[in-house]
Amino acid sequence: MKRTIMMSLLVGASLFATDYAKVITHPDVSKMIQKDLLAPPKVYMMPTGCITNDPDAIARGKYIFNNLNGKKAKKTPPKGLSRKTKNGKPKQYGNCVACHNIEGAKGAGNIGPNLSHYKKNFIDSGARTDAFVYQKIADARIDNPTTHMTINLTTKLFTPREVCDIASYIVSPK
Amino acid sequence: MKTGIKIALSVAMLASLSFGGEQFAMSAADRAMYAEMSENNPADIMVADGEELLGYMGGDEGLAKYLGVSEDDLPTYIAGFPRYIKKFGMVVGLDQVIQAMMADGGNKPLKLKSGNMFSLLAYVKSIANGEKINIDINANPQMKAAYALGEKTFMTRRGGRGLSCNSCHSSDVVGRVLRTQKLPDLGAKGAKSAATWPAYRMTKSSLRTMQRRFQGCMKNALLKVLPIGSKQMVALEVYLTAKSKGSEISIPGLKR
Ligand code: HEC
Ligand code: HEC
Repeated sequence: MKRTIMMSLLVGASLFATDYAKVITHPDVSKMIQKDLLAPPKVYMMPTGCITNDPDAIARGKYIFNNLNGKKAKKTPPKGLSRKTKNGKPKQYGNCVACHNIEGAKGAGNIGPNLSHYKKNFIDSGARTDAFVYQKIADARIDNPTTHMTINLTTKLFTPREVCDIASYIVSPK
Repeated sequence: MKTGIKIALSVAMLASLSFGGEQFAMSAADRAMYAEMSENNPADIMVADGEELLGYMGGDEGLAKYLGVSEDDLPTYIAGFPRYIKKFGMVVGLDQVIQAMMADGGNKPLKLKSGNMFSLLAYVKSIANGEKINIDINANPQMKAAYALGEKTFMTRRGGRGLSCNSCHSSDVVGRVLRTQKLPDLGAKGAKSAATWPAYRMTKSSLRTMQRRFQGCMKNALLKVLPIGSKQMVALEVYLTAKSKGSEISIPGLKR
């Protein structure tokens, strides 16, 4: 800052009692938080035709899994997936890789379980169903009320079809 | 910043990203680099700027007088912020004290998010270097309320992904890895975080305050970004500073 401006801080003491509520920045943002709150947990029915072998759907699921948003993603999104939302903002993807390892993941985190070999270990073994995976991604709190996982359908971050694309990718043979 | 430092930094960053089995262990060379940076923290310049700026407002002596404590007691007093100040009628951080002091000097207070304010805040907190954080959340009803609001804000799930601060900073995920980043310990008692902010963030090449760091997490995790100085942000700082109670203040910190 210019020295002269700062110098002026020294001169002149106010003649009136300061109204600190006015001079100190201290907004109450409870309304802002209220509007941003997560809705209560919700149970979802997996749509018919949700899990698919369609390579395009699986490619979209994979892309959503591994990328944060349309601005940061490096490769071009696969067919049927855009970088931007309708109103021109960068589209948010899942960034699931931040917390989960999976086949071919780069720089995966380990906050959530490793989802590699999911078909063999979890689906074929009967430990999990497709519907479980759908619900987990849509709203993980139904399975675990205190989960640290992101909530993806109740927040309207994704459409049911997008959740199906991600689920199809996870349960697909890789 | 000197280009030399910048280049050294980016080399350190690149090296720290290349991991094998021991994913996050720093190599000996990186550790040496980090050690050198901590000896010669680039933010020392900003802290010195802050000292100069405070000088125009009467320096340490003026600040002590303004806060109603002796210059000798100033470091211990600063180590107890954020605190409730009756004259202001609210729980405030050091930056807000500086705003009030500027106004009382007949001047327009600097914006909380301005670079000069960050420098001032860093300098003022550094006056307490070597002191242990002594925040008292039971000092009065206002501090109790601020702590409770801070805890609530920390736990509240919101935003596009329905995450809370606690999703990534609860004691059961500390030390786990989020997209190559080790999750720092904030939630547990004895965490040091609050004693290390303001800090130089190597990835941002700038001095950042603790509330500015909160904003970074909010933005990344798609939570609506709360403004610095808001009741809820000060409360968050109270909550996390209480977790760091007893930790020795060392400003400026040095962060990835
Ligand atoms: C912030 C961390 C985080 C993110 C991001 C995250 N998860 Fe999870 N996930 C978890 C945790 C923790 C669990 C285990 C606890 C639980 O089940 O709630 C989990 C569990 C799961 C499971 C259940 C595995 C099983 O069979 O038990 C699936 C499937 C899953 N996540 C998929 C995803 C997908 C897909 C995304 C992205 C759209 C995602 N996760 C994003 C943390 C995360
Ligand atoms: C999706 C995960 C996630 C969420 C949600 C999150 N953080 Fe963080 N936070 C991180 C990671 C990862 C780091 C460390 C990043 C690094 O090393 O650069 C971090 C670092 C921090 C630090 C710096 C710690 C230090 O001293 O070095 C603070 C303070 C912090 N977070 C506070 C918060 C607050 C407050 C919230 C809620 C408003 C929050 N975080 C939400 C992941 C998260």
